[in-house]
Amino acid sequence: MPQGTGLIGHLDAGLRATSLRQTTIANNIANMATPGYRRVTLPFEGIFADALKSGRPVDLDDVASCIVQPRTDPLNEHGNDVELDAEVAELVRNSALYKTYMRVLNRMYRQMDLAIQG
Amino acid sequence: MGVDGVSPMVDIAVSGLRAQSLRLNLISANIANAETTHTATGRPYRRQDVVLATTPENLGGVTVISIARDQSAFQSVLIPGHPDADEQGYVDMPNVQLPTEMMNLVFASRAYEANVAVLKRYQDMVEATIELLR
Repeated sequence: MPQGTGLIGHLDAGLRATSLRQTTIANNIANMATPGYRRVTLPFEGIFADALKSGRPVDLDDVASCIVQPRTDPLNEHGNDVELDAEVAELVRNSALYKTYMRVLNRMYRQMDLAIQG
Repeated sequence: MGVDGVSPMVDIAVSGLRAQSLRLNLISANIANAETTHTATGRPYRRQDVVLATTPENLGGVTVISIARDQSAFQSVLIPGHPDADEQGYVDMPNVQLPTEMMNLVFASRAYEANVAVLKRYQDMVEATIELLR
């Protein structure tokens, strides 16, 4: 998808971001008992919003480069900073977001279909 | 490893499930052997635990590096007449602490459930995608 081509381009980036974020959460949960593991996050929406505000072009294809390791959360007894409650809450919130994008996309395709059929 | 490469999310959650279920197996072995004073080596049972590590590649889940034996000291208990007792009647008992094992059991099963929750969410998301085809 070329950069920022209207709503479908944005929805596409949103879907890829939520899907990748779901993977980062899965990785955090799988490593919740791994000594020394630091959680990873994907603050894509914040980066995207900043880019839109500043008016510079956004590379919507490069979602994976937004992955960060905050390294600021308090460590638990395993020397790792995964907090299960927070991860599960994020998991639920993020999959709801994914489904929302999917519904909107579905609605748009239906509208197009309607226009084609006349 | 990896199930089928369909989605990294599934592979990651399954790596977590495997690690935690191995951990649950070792905890149950520890509890079952809490009173075992005589193993194949002739010494009391040493408790076992998994050594977990995150995979070197980014977002690859968790791997079990090894199963380690706890090298802490055995507990000496006075049981005169026990077949493994020394001259003073003391028996070396395994270094298994039941409260610790119970705590680890709760933690491991919660961690297992959390990975199951990830798989369920993945299923939800796939269903939302399939909705596009309806």
